[in-house]
Order: sequence, then C-alpha cells, then structure tokens
Amino acid sequence: MGLFQKLVSFLGVGRKEVNVLVVGLNNSGKSTVVNNFKSDDDKVTDIVPTVGFSVERFQKQNLAFTAFDMSGHGRYRDLWEHYYKDCHGIIFVIDSSDRLRLVVVKEELDLLLQHPDICQKKIPILFFANKMDCKEALSSVKIAAALGLDKIMDKPWHISASNALTGEGLQEGVEWLTQQIRELLSVKN
Amino acid sequence: MSRSELSVSRWLEAHTDRGAGLTTLPRNAILTDIVGNGDYHLVITDLKLDNDTKSRLKVYKGTLMTHDQALSNTPNSVISFYADLNEPRIPVVGVACGSELFLYKNLKPFYKCKVPSCPLSEQESELWKTLMEKQDFNSEDIIKELKKIPFSLLSSRSQHILNLESPLKIEEYIRKYINSMPTKENVITCMSTIEKTTHDKYSVNCPIIGTEFGNIYILDPQNFSILHQANTCNVKATPFIIECSGLYDIEFRIIVACREGYICILRKGWLEGKSLIQITNDIVDMVLIPGDNFITVATADKGLHCYTKRGQKLWSATTTNSITCLCLVPLDHINMYMVAVGMKNGLIHLYHGRHLTDFTVAPDTPSVIVFGPVGQEENVMVIVTMGGTISFKILKRTADFSNRNHESVPVLQGKPLPLPKRSKLFLEQSLRERQSAVEIHQTFQQDLLRLRLTTARALVQNLSDQSGVGNEKENIKLSAQVLGLGPKFTVILTLENINPNKVLTGLSVTFHSNPIFYTLTTYIITVPLIPPSLSYKMETRVQETMSETSSETSVAELEPAGVKVIRVFVTRYDHPRPILAATINMPPTEFMV
Repeated sequence: MGLFQKLVSFLGVGRKEVNVLVVGLNNSGKSTVVNNFKSDDDKVTDIVPTVGFSVERFQKQNLAFTAFDMSGHGRYRDLWEHYYKDCHGIIFVIDSSDRLRLVVVKEELDLLLQHPDICQKKIPILFFANKMDCKEALSSVKIAAALGLDKIMDKPWHISASNALTGEGLQEGVEWLTQQIRELLSVKN
Repeated sequence: MSRSELSVSRWLEAHTDRGAGLTTLPRNAILTDIVGNGDYHLVITDLKLDNDTKSRLKVYKGTLMTHDQALSNTPNSVISFYADLNEPRIPVVGVACGSELFLYKNLKPFYKCKVPSCPLSEQESELWKTLMEKQDFNSEDIIKELKKIPFSLLSSRSQHILNLESPLKIEEYIRKYINSMPTKENVITCMSTIEKTTHDKYSVNCPIIGTEFGNIYILDPQNFSILHQANTCNVKATPFIIECSGLYDIEFRIIVACREGYICILRKGWLEGKSLIQITNDIVDMVLIPGDNFITVATADKGLHCYTKRGQKLWSATTTNSITCLCLVPLDHINMYMVAVGMKNGLIHLYHGRHLTDFTVAPDTPSVIVFGPVGQEENVMVIVTMGGTISFKILKRTADFSNRNHESVPVLQGKPLPLPKRSKLFLEQSLRERQSAVEIHQTFQQDLLRLRLTTARALVQNLSDQSGVGNEKENIKLSAQVLGLGPKFTVILTLENINPNKVLTGLSVTFHSNPIFYTLTTYIITVPLIPPSLSYKMETRVQETMSETSSETSVAELEPAGVKVIRVFVTRYDHPRPILAATINMPPTEFMV
C-alpha cells in the first residue's frame, strides 16, 4: 500500500460499500456471527430464528459492509440465490457440532457454487466452522475435508473455527475476507 | 442444477453406522422431541433375546447415542405422546414390556401401569383352589387335569408345568407356588396413540393398547386409567398393529390388524370391533394414510394392497422382493403422503398411491424404517437393518415428486376391462348354450376325437414317408441336391444335427448305386463331429456310364418308375443297421443336340 493510498484510506475518502451474504443452515449461528460484528450499541442480546432475511450494516477497515443475514430454514433457502448477483463476498456459517447435517451443508454449498451467478465470478468465500466450543464439534480441517473445499479452485476461500457467542475466531476470518474483497476491488479499478 | 434430474437420488446419505448392533422390530423406534427444545431424538429399543442380557432403551441425538438404559422385560413397542399442556412441552415415552406399560418423562421412569389380567378358566381355578386347600397332590393327576383344558387358555404357570419334564421338577414347582392362585397375564402386543381433543402437533394424546387376548384399552393420558375397553373382533383375533384416526372426544376409528389375517375396525362407543377385511396371506405391516384414511397393507407374498376405510380394495401391487416393513412418509411442505416399503436385500421403494415414485437403498434388509424430524432437520429417514446397521438419510430440499414421472409407470389395475356391451347375438348364444348344453358338449367331444384321429393319421403317414428325410430319434436330417445336366453330376448332401444340445459323432455316409449306370468318386464318407444345431455338407461327383449296352440290357434293373437312383445310407460305426436311408432320384442325362 502506497503512502498516498494510506493517506486516502486514513481520511476515509476511499471508503467502499460492499455487500456480503451470510448463509448457512438454520441454527448454525449466522445471526449471532453478524451480531458480533456490529458496534456495541447496535448489538442485540436475544437472537431468535431469522424469518426471511435481515440486513445489517457494520464497518471493518474502512469498508462499509452490508450483510444480508439470510434465514437458514429449509423453506427460506430458496431466497438465497436472489442475492448472489450483487454480493462481493459470502460468509458460510456451519454448525460444526451437527454431524448429521454435514451432508445437507455440502448439498447447499454445491448448489451455491453451481449457481450461474456465482460460478462465473471470483467471489471470496469465508467459512466459519461455528460452535467450536461444543464437545462433539468437528475440527475445521475435518469439515473442510467433508465439504470437499479443496476442490474449489477458482475462488479464494478460507475456513476458520469460531465461537460466535464469545467472538473467538471471527476477527481472523473477517480480516481475511476484507483483504480479499479489497484486492478484488483494486483489480477491478 | 440437479433439481430436475431424475437420475440423481433425492436422498442424502447422512450417516451410516454398521457397528451399531441394534436388533429391533417395527413399532419399536420413534422420533420425538424428548427434551422439549425442538431437537428431535430417535428413541429405539434394542432387543436382546438371550436370557442373561436385558433389552435396552436407547436414545440417539443426531447420530450419537446419548442414552442407554436397561429394560426389565422384552419390549414390544414404543410410543410417545404429550400427556398434559404444561410448559415446557415434554412428551411422555411409553414402552410396553410384557403386560406392563412403562412411562418415561425426560428419560426417567415415572409410572408403570399394568393391563388387567384375564380371568382363569373355571376348571383351572377349581384345580388350583383344591390344591391350595388340600396342600397335597399327585403330580400325574394334575397333569391329566391340565391336559383337558386347551393349552392356549391356561395360565403361564400351568403351561410351564406342562412343559416340565421330570415329575420331580413338577412337584417342586407346584410346591413352590401352591399357596397362591396363578394369574393369566394379558400381554401387550401393540400400542398406538390417539389425539384427544384437537388435531395439533402438540395436542394431548391417549395411549391405546392391544393385548394378546384381543382386548383394546384406551388409557387416560393423565392418570393412565382405562377410559374405554373393547374387544377386537367377535372371533378370536390377536391384534398386532393398531392405527387410528380421528379424535377420542369426538369420533374416531381404530384400525387393528390381527395375526389371523383380519383387519378390524373399532369406532367410538363400540364394545366390539367389526371385521372389515380378511386377508388370506399373513399381514406383514399396515399403515393408515391420513386424509383419505386409506389402509395400506403389506402381505407376506410380496403384495401391497390398499383399501378404503370401508374395506373396499382400491389397488394391489406386487413388489420385487418380500416386504419387511412399511413406514408412512408425510411430506408436509408439498402436502403429500408416501409409503416407504422396506424389502429384503435392502431396497426401499416409495409409493405415492399406487405409483412407485422413488427408491433408495439400505445396507441390508431393513427391519424398521422411521421418517420424521431428527435434530434440526425435518425430513429424515432412519433405517435400522436386520444386520444392526443404523442409517440416516435426509430428503433433499430440492427433491421433486411432481406428477411428471408418473406417466412412465404403467397403471396396473383399477380400470375395469373394456368389455363390450352385451349384444343381442351374445344373449341368443348364451340362451342356446343353456338350452342345449348336452348336444353342444357332445358335438364338441366328437369334433375333438375326430381332430385327434386326423392328427394321428397324419403322424403315421409322415413316419412312413419320412425315412429319407430325417430321423427324429437320432435328431438328424438329411437333404440332397443334384447339380449338373449330365452325364457328370455333383451330389451335395447336407447332414443336419437338429438336436440343440448334443453333438453327433461316429457317423458315416455310404452311397449305393448300380455300377452299370453310375461311377462315383467316393462311396463312403466319414462324417466328422457335427456340433448341435449345425450341419455338415459333403459332395460326391457322379459320372454316368454312357455305354450303349448298358442302356439296353439293364432296363430290367431300373426302378419301377423308370428312373435311375442312388441310395444313401447314414450309419453309425458300431451299428449294422443304417439310422437313415434315402433315395436320390437322378435326373436323366440331357444330351446336347
């Protein structure tokens, strides 16, 4: 980063608006993850199952994020694809303690990756192996293997184990995402 | 997208544990929200039929077993129901063991209710009463007395006595129990639940119990006293599957499948059920389709039958393998009910009505299939196989069961045959048949005899003529062809092996002709092996001797018809008699002018 750019970003002139999509199965902790990114005054204490979707805004490193927190319930998963078009990044939240539904996660991920709006673009995907504190939780390596993430060649991806209740692991993941989106935007410009 | 592709399975293989070692039977596995937090668990009994190990009640949370407790007796069936309206809504799990129903809440036993025992037969109670009074007995007399009573009507104690071998043991056994009257346990054979006042996911349900002696009890969900008692049928019938529809307080139907092949119906207020359907084959399993209340029954002869609630047969289908279990697959999001049919060798077919819409495969023969919510997922099929494997399959969110593919499945039954209307001619004919049945029959018999005679004649004729053409016994056929105009001819013989299984060996062909007329290049040909259904061609050259004398002198030697012949014999090496003989009529030489 050059001196000029540093100056620009310091002054906040180069602030960019980016859209990220937060998806994952129901009860995986999407809303809790998004809640953690919000500033302290916006945080909510009670998190209830999302109906449809909710839009949240937060800032990270001079990027203004607009997060579309999608509902993960089976009957709302059809909505996800309508937001693929304008998103700059995807956060995929996985409940690492739910071994039974790992196949469902894989199915949904495959559907997402095969979608025409996604498969053409080089969108960074951030995976959160959430609920790492649970005793039956699988490690992020195992989840990556189970989902076949190594087969994703054309998109940058990253997986980090997280605990959305305490915020553990979330910063690391979102920093990676911010950097990826920044690179993507600079290439475009 | 795989949404519309039919070749892709609609099921996701979530988890398979081949080492689970579960032994269970239909109606022994349920999916229930055991803790009351919306996280559905699988509650299953693991049968242990050895004497020294006890059967166990196991609970699976997702794919992990979280709870395992011993049961006092061999379990028969498991139910779960909401007994009250208290928050949080925690269902009661009922496990039937012997004649007792154990009730668990939060996986802790909290109540046990016992089915009332049956009265003893008069003779038996008399016998035991006298024993109690006298305190002295002769075991042989007792055996004699007990044998007078039908075995199935005896109490288990008396049955045990009859099964004991040595008189010493019998005496010891009787001494042990002489001071008490025996009881005839009414063993629970099946259970179900019925909604009490409302149709609702969380509505209060009454347990229903069916017993060995054909009693049906409906219990109160709160204090487990008997609300209603009825007999299954007016004949002896042992219920083994109970299904119900309706509400206990308003109107309900209980459909009971019995071991004797009856399907009985019991309605509100009835003290005795009515036999609705009688099936000649053994019933394997039965499900009631909600909505229409159609009864789908699987029988031991690979049959799947569907009846209306009034007992009229709607359709029947034959499956590829023997059916081991059925399971209702309700798909609420597309408002559809299907029936999963588990079969030998692990195939599971899904029927929507009579149409086979989908299939999936289990590791081996399924013994129990349950479908419903597990954990956070709504449409999960849990299969426990005979080999003890537990397998979880999740229905894809994108699974499409639309009617499109129904057209490819042929409609087997249902439509009546397209019979034409009864014409005047048909009526006249049937009238005539009725009037002169004897004459028609006699004419028919005569014609039949005549036909047989004609056939026999034709056969005899054929056999006498056929010598040159073939030999049926040896399964060979010979045909000859004469080529040429003369005086040089070529005779081509084709020997065909008609037998499709056996080879022909050791044959030779001999030509015989008058040397005055013909000279042949070869007179004996050895036939090589002829494989089944194939033929062998051989040829020989024939030269007509054109001496003037021969044509004049040998007129007498000509065949009666005046044609010259060459005879062919097919012989076997070791047999002097030819197995086939033929005469080739040679054409006369046409002299060129």
